[in-house]
Amino acid sequence: MIGNQLALIEREIWEHRSIYVTPLAIASIVTLSVLAMLVFASGFAKELDMAIFGASNIAGEGERRAALTAFFVGTSWLFLVALAILTVFYCLDSLYGERKDKSILFWRSMPITDAETVLSKLVTAVVVIPVVAVLGIIATHIVNLVITSIWVSMKGGDAGLLIWGSVPFFDNWVAAFIVVLASGIWMSPFIGWFLFVSAWTKRAPLLMAFMPLVLIPLLEWIFLRTRFFATAVFDRGDDMPLFRTLDFETFFEEEHWHSGIDNISLLGHLDVVQFLTSPSMWGGLLVCGLFVTAAIYVRRYRDESQ
Amino acid sequence: MTSLVTARGVSKHFGEVRAVDDVSFEIEQGKILGLIGPNGAGKTTLLKAVLGLTDCDGELSVLGLDPFRQRKELLRNICFIADVAVLPRWIRVTQLLDFVEAVHPNFSRKHAEGFLRQTKVRSDAKVRELSKGMVTQLHLSIIMSIDAKLLVLDEPTLGLDIIFRKEFYGNLLNDYFDEKRTILITTHQVEEIENLLTDIMFINDGRILLDKPMESLAESYVELLTSGENAIKAKGLGPIAEHEMFGKSVLLFEGVSRENLEGLGEMRTPSVADLFVAKVKGTRK
Repeated sequence: MIGNQLALIEREIWEHRSIYVTPLAIASIVTLSVLAMLVFASGFAKELDMAIFGASNIAGEGERRAALTAFFVGTSWLFLVALAILTVFYCLDSLYGERKDKSILFWRSMPITDAETVLSKLVTAVVVIPVVAVLGIIATHIVNLVITSIWVSMKGGDAGLLIWGSVPFFDNWVAAFIVVLASGIWMSPFIGWFLFVSAWTKRAPLLMAFMPLVLIPLLEWIFLRTRFFATAVFDRGDDMPLFRTLDFETFFEEEHWHSGIDNISLLGHLDVVQFLTSPSMWGGLLVCGLFVTAAIYVRRYRDESQ
Repeated sequence: MTSLVTARGVSKHFGEVRAVDDVSFEIEQGKILGLIGPNGAGKTTLLKAVLGLTDCDGELSVLGLDPFRQRKELLRNICFIADVAVLPRWIRVTQLLDFVEAVHPNFSRKHAEGFLRQTKVRSDAKVRELSKGMVTQLHLSIIMSIDAKLLVLDEPTLGLDIIFRKEFYGNLLNDYFDEKRTILITTHQVEEIENLLTDIMFINDGRILLDKPMESLAESYVELLTSGENAIKAKGLGPIAEHEMFGKSVLLFEGVSRENLEGLGEMRTPSVADLFVAKVKGTRK
């Protein structure tokens, strides 16, 4: 079972190279941007703080941590957006592509159950893609800190103190890992839905996946004058219980940054217990489970030749 | 003889259409059975039922298993090539071997690589870079390296040129088949496989028209080439099919002994293709 899962997941990575190409592309964009910024900054004063991502008046340890964390959050955010788009396209193709090119008949000639196959696609979407993205985030972080350190050293600064001594590695990385992984779990009902559409639709999976998400709220509003479906679907992304203690309004304000080292911890803003005990999260997993079961059922029972 | 496949009253309906209609048969170990039928006859549906790819009514047992409900166990001992185009186009040959090696307990990578060395298929090539014939060679190399009890081939050489087709069946017979293995094969090009079959089954409109060992065909069926008075006499014996060729009558008899036809014309064993046409036309009358 486990051996089959590993082989199936490896096969997903072979087929969907975007799983690692996308993080590589984002990493390259971020790195090129940082290089451009450093070159741009070199044209101005020799103030070291320009090196640290444009933040001004970086004097104290707390501020440096905050500036470096802000850079990390910005980079991670880019990865998260790319990850979301990648996951949508991956899920929609995962059970549709094999039917389109008829390779499903080959895959189904192997001693593997449909449940194992569909589960490998779910695991790829909820675990593998996020983990690869976190590795991408960490690699990008290290590469850009090295580049910045070289630049700082060339300007006569002490990179060890200014950069490496000031980056809260553990806090940043663990927080990124939790946020990225929790995002996949939180959005799992959508992942389940996309997998089901991919297994079920005869054509245009993208259209078939998004049309109901637009039409159902519209019909609900026209006939019932309510917005339950729209709220459940469109507000889910903003409503993750992991972030309930994080206030984006004040997070980027200057007082917040100056208020001390303790407050700039990313982990301090994450409420894992609230996330894990949230009925919405478990409800979402249940919805995901139902859609995935339906996807397994469709793959197993539909006769492709008819 | 052990029976590998046993079907009792197997049916499969798609709405009003009876793709397979109350079919019963057995396939014994060590046989090469040709399943012959026109398009839409129910061949593929029957094969899918045997492979556990589709559910059916009636009693169907393959290697002692219920194929639909015990598909995973079944597929450890049964292989199939459904159509030439089913290998995923994006995959590399080495990846394909890696995958099958990881998931199939009865696969021998060494054998597969041995078979592939006899072809022009490069191990670093992607399937999409290979010609249709090479894709089939690749697929056959993998299938022949799986130690399976039953091999099911559904139109395996469709769209291939004659050289690849001959080679395909040559490999199958020389490198794969032995008394422990069983092959179930469907094809339109029946002339090409009739010499390698041990048994034959005709299917039309979801029903079995004929199910016999090849060697018994000569006893049961006679084709008579005749003309004039003899032709009139012979027609009185109730041929199941007749047609004219170069001014002569060609009559096909079922269950009429050769002694009864002695002196009426030239006798020969009908080809599978002629027998098939006669049988199918007979049911359409």
